[in-house]
Amino acid sequence: MSELAEAIAELNEDEAKRLVREKIDTGVEPMSIVDECRQGMDIVGERYKSKDYFLSELIVSGEIFKEAMAVVEPLLKAGEQADCMSKMVLGTVKGDIHNIGKDIAGTLLTAAGFEVYDLGIDVAPGVFIDKLVETGAPILGMSGLLTPSFESMKETVKAVEAAGLRDKVKIIVGGGIVTEQVGKYVGADAFTSDGPEGVEICKKFAGRQSK
Amino acid sequence: MIKETMTSKERVEAAIKLEPYDRVPVAPLMDVMFPSRHKGMTVAYGISHWRDGFQAIVDIFDEVGGWDAMILPGYSLALTPKVASGVMASMGTRGYKFPGQDAAVSENSQPQYEERERLTVDDYDEIIKHGWSGFAERNRERYTSFPPEQIIAWAKKQTEHYAREGETWAQKGVPSLCGAIVESPLMFLSTKRSLTSFTMDLHRIPDKVEAVMDAMVDEFITDTIEAARLTGIPGVMLVLERGGCFYYPLKIFERFEFPYMKKMIEAFAAEGLITVMHFDQDWTLNLPYLKELPAKMCVCELDSTTDIFKAKEILKGHMCIVGDVPASLPAIGTPEDMEAYCKKLIDVVGDGGGFILSSGCTIPADAKFENFKTMIDTAKNYLPAR
Repeated sequence: MSELAEAIAELNEDEAKRLVREKIDTGVEPMSIVDECRQGMDIVGERYKSKDYFLSELIVSGEIFKEAMAVVEPLLKAGEQADCMSKMVLGTVKGDIHNIGKDIAGTLLTAAGFEVYDLGIDVAPGVFIDKLVETGAPILGMSGLLTPSFESMKETVKAVEAAGLRDKVKIIVGGGIVTEQVGKYVGADAFTSDGPEGVEICKKFAGRQSK
Repeated sequence: MIKETMTSKERVEAAIKLEPYDRVPVAPLMDVMFPSRHKGMTVAYGISHWRDGFQAIVDIFDEVGGWDAMILPGYSLALTPKVASGVMASMGTRGYKFPGQDAAVSENSQPQYEERERLTVDDYDEIIKHGWSGFAERNRERYTSFPPEQIIAWAKKQTEHYAREGETWAQKGVPSLCGAIVESPLMFLSTKRSLTSFTMDLHRIPDKVEAVMDAMVDEFITDTIEAARLTGIPGVMLVLERGGCFYYPLKIFERFEFPYMKKMIEAFAAEGLITVMHFDQDWTLNLPYLKELPAKMCVCELDSTTDIFKAKEILKGHMCIVGDVPASLPAIGTPEDMEAYCKKLIDVVGDGGGFILSSGCTIPADAKFENFKTMIDTAKNYLPAR
């Protein structure tokens, strides 16, 4: 494990910042720095799965990762991107303005290599469809914290069907009160109330298993 | 129907004191949302018209033949007549987007919490220096446009409504469990700083966060005791969500949540107040700590994300458990699903007493009436085999 990956895995914010700056100053390829940061986030995810880390560590590491990316991304060459796991459209469904779970999922998915199109909160079915068509993303993630969000999720799944995209798009729903029953009710392919688990499910959707 | 030999009040008190009861009591956490919709009003209307909204709760109570207790008597606030109490309430209510007041929150939605910073990291120093009341008075205009005398008048009015709601239920023979509501310092700071910022505060400046909590907790205690005295209901709801194992490791809980919870609950118990610990999200790993709290003087209210069966194993003989029908069940389940889950709760969590059947958090606005009624009926009709 590199020093930078370790600093992120250990949630050492100051050290991670220092190492990113040092690597840039010494001419390390920006893409290599991104990869090291992702390795650190992978370790955080593993520690979460083994229950050594909790949501708070996902939040702190996510903030460190975002700080690093804010410095490194502008240095990436035009058109240069990290090895993209898959494109993915993400949002909190119509009628729901909660963003915590969706934002954490977005950060974790980005760190895992997904190109995430985050549409924000209160996203209408048509807006999801437009972005799926525009990007060709094969995965749709919908978040919601309230019971009325189940109907919005269901409507969106129907809209995906009506747009002729259902056999091309895998759908995952997530949120604090999302259960298996909810997943079935809305017609999703998968459900979760756990960010890292959601990332693993999306990796499977993308045809990539976890390392 | 099970032959009842106790009044609702006796049954609920027996559950809290871990004494035998004739059947498991049932007490949904009921606010105005579901009753308003059921009575043909919008949630927005029910929330903004106190008399009609509260009457909708009473009507639905009568329609299902009643239940045993109100965890909260209605949806007013119990406040002390102080500027700081009004500011705190305003910070809380301004955190929500209410139905009909925002394009994203429909007239039939429940109020939705908007996660953003209402306290800055710089505010910490002022709270440490001046205490919560001092901070609130000095920064009043950031959180409300009302002058002090209007804030105090509003606080008095809210508390009068709260007391009147409690009295309405008392006249029907139904006890209300909570005469005041308070958040733990961690819950308060997390929701006012935002989850991400507060989590970074805990990571970057833990000693300062602890100093802020120390500067706040005694006022939280004295204000809550005073509010409960004003409403005349001998109990407190302690709102807990952000300090449990869903969010934080035990080392955070042990330093920033549990000592303050314990101090508050012990202080309330010393005044004869029962604390209903309203746990949102998963607290399963935190459950063993609850055995350090005063026996039979607090209640563990769960929302279905904490393992209620594990809670029973751990807390049996120490405190009453309340819960935990998942919100999805009344909304998209069937009466058969509801009956099966309630029977399981009565069989396992109700075994040996110390259980009140309830909804996991509030009954959602889009609950189906037949599912809700099934929950109430199952408590009244189902007698476990042993």
